[in-house]
Amino acid sequence: MNRIKTRLAWASMLLVAACALGIGATRDSGPSTQAERIDAITERLACPTCDGESVYVSRASAAESIRNQVARDVAAGRLTDDQIIAAIADRFKAQVLLVPRATGFDSLVWIVPVVVLVVSVAALAGAFRRWRDERPADATAADEELVGRLLGAEPGTGRDDPS
Amino acid sequence: MLAAGGIGGPLGRAALVVGLVGSVFGLLAAVTAARTGDRRVARLVIRFAWLTATGAVGAFVAMEWAMVTRDFSLDYIQRVGSRSTPALYNFAAVWSALEGSILMWVLVLAGLTAAVAHKYRRRIDDPMVGWAMATMFATAIFFFMLTLGPANPFAPGAPGVVDGPGPNPLLQNHLLVMFHPPILYIGYVGMTVPFAFAIGALVTGRLGEGWLVETRRWAIVSWGMLTFGIILGGWWSYEVLGWSGVWAWDPVENASFVPWLTGTAYIHSVLVQERRGMLRVWNLSLLVATFALTILGTFLTRSGILNSVHAFSESNIGPWLLSFFAVIVVVSVGLIGWRGDRLRSPGVIDSPISREGAFLANNVLFAAFAFVVLLGTVFPLVVEALQNRQLVVGEPFFDRLSGPIGLVMLFLMSVAPVLPWRKASGEVLADRLHWPAWCGTAALVVAVVLGASGWAPLLTFGLGGFAAGAALRQLVLATRRQGWRGLVGRANGGMVVHLGVILLAVALAASNSYTRSQELNLEIGAPARWGGHTFELVGFEQVDDDRRTAIKALVSIDGGQAYAPAITKFKSMGTNIGTPSVRTGFTKDLYLTLEPPVKPTSDSARIKVFVKPMILWLWIGGGLMGLGTLLSLFPGRRRRPTDPTSAPVAVAGGVAP
Repeated sequence: MNRIKTRLAWASMLLVAACALGIGATRDSGPSTQAERIDAITERLACPTCDGESVYVSRASAAESIRNQVARDVAAGRLTDDQIIAAIADRFKAQVLLVPRATGFDSLVWIVPVVVLVVSVAALAGAFRRWRDERPADATAADEELVGRLLGAEPGTGRDDPS
Repeated sequence: MLAAGGIGGPLGRAALVVGLVGSVFGLLAAVTAARTGDRRVARLVIRFAWLTATGAVGAFVAMEWAMVTRDFSLDYIQRVGSRSTPALYNFAAVWSALEGSILMWVLVLAGLTAAVAHKYRRRIDDPMVGWAMATMFATAIFFFMLTLGPANPFAPGAPGVVDGPGPNPLLQNHLLVMFHPPILYIGYVGMTVPFAFAIGALVTGRLGEGWLVETRRWAIVSWGMLTFGIILGGWWSYEVLGWSGVWAWDPVENASFVPWLTGTAYIHSVLVQERRGMLRVWNLSLLVATFALTILGTFLTRSGILNSVHAFSESNIGPWLLSFFAVIVVVSVGLIGWRGDRLRSPGVIDSPISREGAFLANNVLFAAFAFVVLLGTVFPLVVEALQNRQLVVGEPFFDRLSGPIGLVMLFLMSVAPVLPWRKASGEVLADRLHWPAWCGTAALVVAVVLGASGWAPLLTFGLGGFAAGAALRQLVLATRRQGWRGLVGRANGGMVVHLGVILLAVALAASNSYTRSQELNLEIGAPARWGGHTFELVGFEQVDDDRRTAIKALVSIDGGQAYAPAITKFKSMGTNIGTPSVRTGFTKDLYLTLEPPVKPTSDSARIKVFVKPMILWLWIGGGLMGLGTLLSLFPGRRRRPTDPTSAPVAVAGGVAP
């Protein structure tokens, strides 16, 4: 009875959580402002003169000019985010994409983490399996009888010295 | 007088030599004492440790003196000193470039060497302490040599210079520049102490749990300082840089984050070793990795091969640091290999659904996270070396990969604290997780009712509530059993740290996902309304001194107090530095920046407004992490002798002989 109650409680909780998640995750968060669109685009572009910083973060003049270009494109409203980024990547011959492409050698930066995670989880699973196999089997009645006999015969000698 | 130079240079150089001599003799004495057990030699170790510290303090004071007196005979002061820098920022300018920051490293390291020698003064003839001291001294020798060689802060400069540009303007406009670097360095360099004891344990072969108990507090304090330093860095970024973020996955940030990740893994997995005597090689490897990664990170960011907002100009300390890194790895791996037979752990982990199983999963996750961050940081170098082209790996890459890892970590934080050691049955779990899971569900429902959207933030809120429930459950049970003692000790203090981490995670998810921003063209006398607030430009303020010209736009929010985002032009640099102005609140911050170009003569200004939810909770979460770290340093409940354990129980006052 108790068990059924517990299960019911968990099931209802999971149902509530799933509903809340479903409602929240699928709802529209409303239109974004132009500034937000500019931010989202410039977060994906690297400032060409300041190694490692995005156009969004950087206050350098090169970043400023790219930001203005993006602002103009967004204001014109003709291009999608990806088209704006592609146009800027074309204009600057240097790499301005902050997200490495998933093609060629660059794809390694995406693949290697996944491989590492899979390998380490597999290694962990392997270790648990080995530990399970290595675990000494539970003592049988015969073992216990033997230990009891030895302990009874010579008290104190049946155990390893802990040091 | 100026051409002849002040006394800072000669005094500093002399002090560095004293420190180097102290550490060389300290190393010799420590090794001799550890090998022969000679008490008289062992006592010399303490003296040499103090001599080393004296040298380092002397050099640092000499550098400060040179900075304060604007001794432009030194090359370093010519680069970072200026007559017009205000006293406070001038004081902090000592650590604003490479040589000074290495000097600070020397100061912290030598201070720690003396502190360790003092703490273990009664056991200084114990070979393990001896070898640990030898490791500290060897590291100190390396850093003293850096300051006397390729990163010499006391090198004489060109004659005739009477003024300099001062430190980077970004390091001149917030008080945190006084605290963020030193605290971070204490944490970063503090990782040397547990590493040194690990080496001591390996050399002496005393690989039981004694050395862990010795270094527990050192590791926790260093970890806490590193955490605190990183969070202060985020705060500084938010208040100063003007892009409204706290973390940019910049190479230097990553260089501090990667050792933090391995250090965090260590302070968790060390519990498994103390309790079960297992994971010995793994724990040693984590400590070696943490220490080695601090050196590798310094190499990556201080040698000029990677650039970032933090990076200093190119220098030739790269090969030195890389060689030192190689030595650390080779020696440590060699020692671990040599002691392999003694490191075999006696126990097995019975079930993945157990406390130790959860710790292992946590470790795999932290190690994978550290690897991902390191990979993203060095990948541009690999591409450049192999294919001779430029590539940038930036924030979107790290965000994309750290999101899922963070969610799994939150899940583990929910389940692990309720798991018993050895193994758990489904019933026990269902019972213990019941109300933490309701906390998670409640958090999720509240978030949805408040209008939250998106998978990632909602999962963060739900799992955050779940994890907070688990941490609170542990704290409630502990305080019910033991009163106030239920709040101290590692397990309970650790739960307070967890609560801080959860707050940070939730606040980061909320502020990253729900920041709204808009650019407003404000005119004097014409308030604009956006995001539920009214913004009105009330005027400009111009500050002009011999150092800079700052233009502030005064913007009144909701008819109240005026906030003053500014743009500052530093005369020596010619760069425009934007300074944001923030109205902090419990639920959201209003973050204003002044956008160029600015004409104070006109009556309009472009103001960018960010509405950022929950930012204050980032800092509260950070504070809670600090508080939890402190609580965990107090001794908690003594373990009852009847509690199951297969590792030796710590004996008060030291290791079992």
